Amino acid sequence: MIDFELDDALSLIRETAREFAQAQLQPRAREFEAARSVAGDVQKRFRQIGLEAMELPERIGGAGLGALARALVLEELGAADAGAALALDPLGPALYPLLELAADDVLEPLVRPLLGRTGARAVLAWDGAEQVRIDDRHVSGQIAWVPADRIDLLVLLRPDGAWAIEEGIAREELRGAGLRAAGASCLRLDSAPVSYAWPDPAGARRALARARLYTAALTLGVMRASAEFSREYALNRVAFGRPIAHHQALAFLIADMAAAVDATRLLVWEAAWRLERGEDASEACATAFAETIEQAMFVTPNGIQILGGHGFMQDYPAEKYMREARTLGLMLGGIDAAREEAGRELARSERPLALVSAEA
Amino acid sequence: MDLSIDPETAQRIERLAQLGRSQLRPLGLEADLAGHPLPPDHALFKLLLQLGQGRTRWSPEAEKEPPHNVSPRAGTSRTTLCLVEELSYWDRGVAVAFPGPGLGEPPILSMGTPEQKRRFLGPFVHPDRPRWGSFAMTEPGAGSDVAGIRTTAHKDGQDWVLNGAKSFASNASRADWIVVFATVDPALGREGHRAFVVEQGTAGLGNFLIERKMGLKAYESTSFTLENCRVSGANLLGGEERYARRAGFRGAMRSFNATRPLVAAMAVGIGRAALDEALAFAREQDLLDDSRVRDRLEQIRRKLRAARLLCWRAAWLADCQRPNILEASMAKAVAPAVAFDAASLGMELLGEVGARGDHLLEKLFRDVKAMDIVEGTGQIQRIIMARRLVNLPSERGS
Repeated sequence: MIDFELDDALSLIRETAREFAQAQLQPRAREFEAARSVAGDVQKRFRQIGLEAMELPERIGGAGLGALARALVLEELGAADAGAALALDPLGPALYPLLELAADDVLEPLVRPLLGRTGARAVLAWDGAEQVRIDDRHVSGQIAWVPADRIDLLVLLRPDGAWAIEEGIAREELRGAGLRAAGASCLRLDSAPVSYAWPDPAGARRALARARLYTAALTLGVMRASAEFSREYALNRVAFGRPIAHHQALAFLIADMAAAVDATRLLVWEAAWRLERGEDASEACATAFAETIEQAMFVTPNGIQILGGHGFMQDYPAEKYMREARTLGLMLGGIDAAREEAGRELARSERPLALVSAEA
Repeated sequence: MDLSIDPETAQRIERLAQLGRSQLRPLGLEADLAGHPLPPDHALFKLLLQLGQGRTRWSPEAEKEPPHNVSPRAGTSRTTLCLVEELSYWDRGVAVAFPGPGLGEPPILSMGTPEQKRRFLGPFVHPDRPRWGSFAMTEPGAGSDVAGIRTTAHKDGQDWVLNGAKSFASNASRADWIVVFATVDPALGREGHRAFVVEQGTAGLGNFLIERKMGLKAYESTSFTLENCRVSGANLLGGEERYARRAGFRGAMRSFNATRPLVAAMAVGIGRAALDEALAFAREQDLLDDSRVRDRLEQIRRKLRAARLLCWRAAWLADCQRPNILEASMAKAVAPAVAFDAASLGMELLGEVGARGDHLLEKLFRDVKAMDIVEGTGQIQRIIMARRLVNLPSERGS
């Protein structure tokens, strides 16, 4: 029966991630942003507390944790520094096509070398429109932006499958709109050799769903931080004789922002729960992604608005939250692609939200 | 973490769905066209009694057990929430007309003495006929601001004498009794409130007027007056001792808090009905090939799902006996607006068919608006949320 309790293991994982994120990432977010990378000592700590390979199966050196644990950790990391979260994660959402499509004897040699190496990155590139040309195990085309300054493994994901590319990637550094702590590059592939090809639309669809949930959970953290920071600011800033939070226009806005964060979190949890049960969770993940991005575009601009002029200045994190949220929402085809997927599924349903037993 | 519905609850939902399909929805449409509530002697109400509806949650046996002997994770609130959503999916108006102690039950349960529970809820244990209870807080001049009620209560010997006017009380004219809130001194604000169980037929209780509403016509929303209405001291909920401890108003507010997630779940039910109708119409008219139509339907489903999760969370907290004031208000603030959007989108897809006034979606569009008003408007919910989030001061200071 309906139960939102996180068991002790999940609570501990969330607490561990929160402590790390608030102590190691949050205070240094501007430093990481300027450096386009996360300091080595922080990365080492990230590894020590077991966050590096948490979703990797135990048989190949991971912790074998599920989607809900992952979502909880990503929310905490995103609330501190979403760019750093990507920089710290050597596998990131690029792991999902590998987990869904690669056999263990392929997965292990692809993944192992990335673990325990400071700065190593597997990067996921989503090519929803199938603009990259793939012929005879070579890939050519351009990827306008990835949040990385270094690419050890490129996983190209498309509706019709996934491709692993390790060589022949020309990289041009970009300034980046957000997530700068992870870096920002344009990629050019000129007959880059394909290490592995997985032409499997069903597996690609599952990988996309998990990548969407990853992005949603990270964005959820950003919007939570934005709502929380602006709420605290509004309690301290006085205008017209009282804290601005006590003017009803802002009090109501703060209430709506809190509701947006909570509602989004519940959709993220629902999608994770469906994934862990082994359900076809593509629609649930697309829905969670769409709602997160939509609500993040409500919360984070208002997180600036509440600060007024200070919100626009880089002395406060409010402006960074909005840039990070907007940038995260551009990944994986953005909100439109997610809504398209969920909408097509809806068009096939009869009673889409009927209350039925889990066994039905 | 679990979002499944247990098989037993699912079975109960399925039984309600059968009742809803065969009875509630057709009767709701019928009452809507007729423009007046289902009469108290309607065959549906007798059928409902046979199906085990119309009863109280209270039982004489439960009274003997210590109050905290209930399992905190028993799932009562969550089960009720699911059932209420399903009922409202079929027809929220007919659901409110269901016999039973209704909104009068929570204040009796939370404030009543054992004797009062036996006396007023006892007849609802195995009701011999459809019986109703009612609840009257709202007045012509006091809605959301419940502290502003002006119905007075004066002690006269062992009795109390009530004077005033009440508005929009569900099922009041057919009720065996009405829980009436009155004040012993308007200057005291909340501290001056008292709750009385006023029995039907009491001299001075009268002028019942069944209001004409925009929607939800299947049940009666009734105004009435109290003119030198004399009730026994035994009808003061909790007795004088309770108020000597100044627990009066807090008790009344507890009953509100318990119902907010339920009302939010009703909104989800209506919104879900609107989504299903809109989807069916769009399919019939071949509109689903249009990505703009799909997008808008997708957004409604997404928001309804989020609203439902907010309701579930608030009910789960209640089942765990954890504070849920913020979460209950959040659900109540969010769900009705989403449900309204669902019905409004449905009308838009219907186009001029919606303007004809004879489609279920048109009825849902009128019905659903009430959900953002009853049990605290959306604005009141935001005030309550803001009190929790930013210590928003009370206008009247409490």
